Amino acid sequence: MNKIHLTINDNQFEAEPGATIMEVALENNIYIPHLCYNPDLVPGGICRLCRVEINNDKLALACRTPVEEGMIVRTNTPEIDAAIRPIVELIIADHHSTCRGCPANGKCELQKIMAHLHIDRRRIDNLRLPQNDLPLEALTPFLDYDPNKCVRCGICVQTCEKIYGTSHIYFLNRGYDTKIAYFETVAHCDFCMECVKNCPVGVLIPKNV
Amino acid sequence: MITADFRAKAETEWQNITDPSVPQIFIGMATCGEAAGALSIYKAMESALIKNRIKARIHKTGCLGMCYCEPMVDIIKPGRPRITYKNLTPETAAELITDYLINDNYRPDLALGVWGKEFDGIPNLFQLDFMKFQQRTALKNIGVINPEDISQYIACGGYKAFEKALGTSQQDIIYEVEKSGLRGLGGAGFPTGLKWKTCYKARYSPKYMICNADEGDPGAYMDRSLLESDPHSVLEGMLIAAYAIGCSRGYIYIRDEYPLAIKRMAIAIEQMRQYGLLGDNILNSDFSFDIEIREGAGAFVCGEESALLASIEGNRGMPRHRPPYPAESGLWGKPTDINNVKTLANIPSIIINGAEWFAGRGTESSKGTAIFALTGKVANRGLIEVPMGITLRQIIYDIGGGIPDGKAFKAVQTGGPSGGCLPADLLDLPIAFDSLAAAGSIMGSGGMVVLDEDTCMVDVARFFLDFAQQESCGQCIPCRLGTKQMFEILDDITKGNGKQTDVDVLLELSDSIVKTSLCGLGRTVPNPVLTTIRYFRDEYDSHINDKQCPSNVCQALINGGQSDE
Ligand SMILES: Cc1cc2nc3c(=O)[nH]c(=O)nc-3n(C[C@H](O)[C@H](O)[C@H](O)COP(=O)(O)O)c2cc1C
Ligand code: SF4
Ligand code: SF4
Ligand code: SF4
Ligand code: FES
Ligand code: FES
Repeated sequence: MNKIHLTINDNQFEAEPGATIMEVALENNIYIPHLCYNPDLVPGGICRLCRVEINNDKLALACRTPVEEGMIVRTNTPEIDAAIRPIVELIIADHHSTCRGCPANGKCELQKIMAHLHIDRRRIDNLRLPQNDLPLEALTPFLDYDPNKCVRCGICVQTCEKIYGTSHIYFLNRGYDTKIAYFETVAHCDFCMECVKNCPVGVLIPKNV
Repeated sequence: MITADFRAKAETEWQNITDPSVPQIFIGMATCGEAAGALSIYKAMESALIKNRIKARIHKTGCLGMCYCEPMVDIIKPGRPRITYKNLTPETAAELITDYLINDNYRPDLALGVWGKEFDGIPNLFQLDFMKFQQRTALKNIGVINPEDISQYIACGGYKAFEKALGTSQQDIIYEVEKSGLRGLGGAGFPTGLKWKTCYKARYSPKYMICNADEGDPGAYMDRSLLESDPHSVLEGMLIAAYAIGCSRGYIYIRDEYPLAIKRMAIAIEQMRQYGLLGDNILNSDFSFDIEIREGAGAFVCGEESALLASIEGNRGMPRHRPPYPAESGLWGKPTDINNVKTLANIPSIIINGAEWFAGRGTESSKGTAIFALTGKVANRGLIEVPMGITLRQIIYDIGGGIPDGKAFKAVQTGGPSGGCLPADLLDLPIAFDSLAAAGSIMGSGGMVVLDEDTCMVDVARFFLDFAQQESCGQCIPCRLGTKQMFEILDDITKGNGKQTDVDVLLELSDSIVKTSLCGLGRTVPNPVLTTIRYFRDEYDSHINDKQCPSNVCQALINGGQSDE
């Protein structure tokens, strides 16, 4: 198969046909903010953060757009910033915990995005913040779930589904109240820890059993 | 072919109804009529007939769309035109039997209009202000025929378009629909012919045809009225679409809150089967097609096409990222055409009268007619079908009869919960897909709510954002968190807790949500906020800076000052 040639932020790259913009960018150390992308899973396209500009024109999702010959991609225009900065601010406003003591501290995708965008805390003060911290919930017999930190990216669900054919944890409720809950189906959660490993933030906390 | 014999028989039967030897009584019994009391009217008239030993026939029709006149009854007395009576009670309905049928007093005091020339002081029904500016195409049969009797539909020219289509090539039908300029009336306004062509060209089979009858907009009832009052026009549109595209199976997705529509659709489908209009080798052609009804479970977002597909497949009704579009990969991954009820009801007329006729009405980029449910603070409320390009003023004042109680007009909200609010300055705006979009609103599925001077525009925005945040499926981050945040800010403003930065924050959030959300819900729900800020900014300023609600609606601000909530 012939390689595909494209430009990302004015630099030339070569890529395998069928690769997505996200894959090519990350491979070449170009960071694109993302929460619902995981290299081992099918991209759901639901966090909506991985905006890139294609061919000096429209914005598209890097995780769902395959590269094409001659494509010109930009990852850092003012339009992209204006589109995604408010979303990241919304996530942080809703994510009212300090990072101290969080299991994800240091390897957290949200921290990475905040650093990348140089998030200004003062702007977040203009938003309405949730009233109360919600208590930890027992998700499976082996896992606790922190609803205050969950970004509802669905990676845990997909991870479980991929391993067991059907996921033991799934989305519950709608709108703002959407959360991850345990559905005991044929088998139960067998503490494989894969969802914990894949969660981009620090939501899933193994119980001491 | 539907045998010439059968068509002739249906026509004779219809002739016997419209020019009868015994009185014919038509009672409007769609959901709207029933809600207004049509059932007790039916009982009152039936017992008056029995008591007075009068021979007459009662027909249950759908609705004429004149909500402000319900409950309504039409009577044809032998040798007389069809007279429509309005706002009846069981008492006045029973009086009609004795007064008109026995004593020949046709009660002008209860009459609304005659079907035809003015009759002894009773005006022509179709020359009334509410009717005369309308051009009924998709709605042509509503309130006219009995929706539970296929032969009445056939007598009025029904299934002729389908017969004509069967004798035409698939490409030619698609070309005709393309040329007509018809755009989808389910909200997005996508060119119907183009959608059909994409689906026709898709290489995989089987292909599916779906009629979207989810109609989740609060206050909308255009699709319901059409399904209840003229189901066969929608089904004929489906047949033609399925034949043109090459679909072998069809689904009608109707919300389960519409039991009467579901019942009438089921009856209509059964009658089609009896007449060989569904099943294998329809009317002895090579075309085989069947239709199944699927009941929707309620959520507003299930009307979004990709969520609707998920729901029919038995999954949680959640939208998914597109492309791929359903026309290429839809139901179970197969090419699927999805059209709205109103879009489909336009198809038979296009096939019969031709693309030029259809394109002869409307504007450059929006052809044909638009269908609205005109409600709110307007004298004549109801269902209207008007040529694209008509102005808001003509709709609200000429058809709607203006604002009642001597109040002043303030705004009109078009397009359902994600439409915008347009001010008096824009009353002369011609209504079309693009002009509405440029003004910050949408055609949507056809809601049109008139608001008078007693309305607080911030409160209106708050109301719609409350709806949006409850209906967001919660899957994508901008819509899930964004609608919630916007609602909280608007709620604070109406309670006197607004901040100086709020309007800018609302604008920024709206822009981002519109640009990044996964589905059409997130991409449009900021419209009520954007337009109220654009056209009624002073009301936001009063709430935020002066802690005043200029329209005296927001309870917490009525006496000025900050609330303690
Ligand atoms: C949140 C949401 C709700 C929708 N609800 C409906 C609906 O109730 N009925 C409908 O026909 N289309 C609805 N649509 C539009 C459909 O996605 C789709 O565009 C339409 O059914 C296509 O038919 P048309 O081309 O005939 O307009 C909705 C879209 C969104 C984003
Ligand atoms: S998930 Fe990330 S951002 Fe949230 S508290 Fe943990 S480390 Fe901090
Ligand atoms: S628990 Fe983690 S992986 Fe699962 S949805 Fe929440 S943030 Fe995503
Ligand atoms: S925009 Fe809203 S309704 Fe649409 S997918 Fe996202 S969360 Fe769901
Ligand atoms: S990473 Fe692409 S949408 Fe989340
Ligand atoms: S009269 Fe039937 S909907 Fe209004």
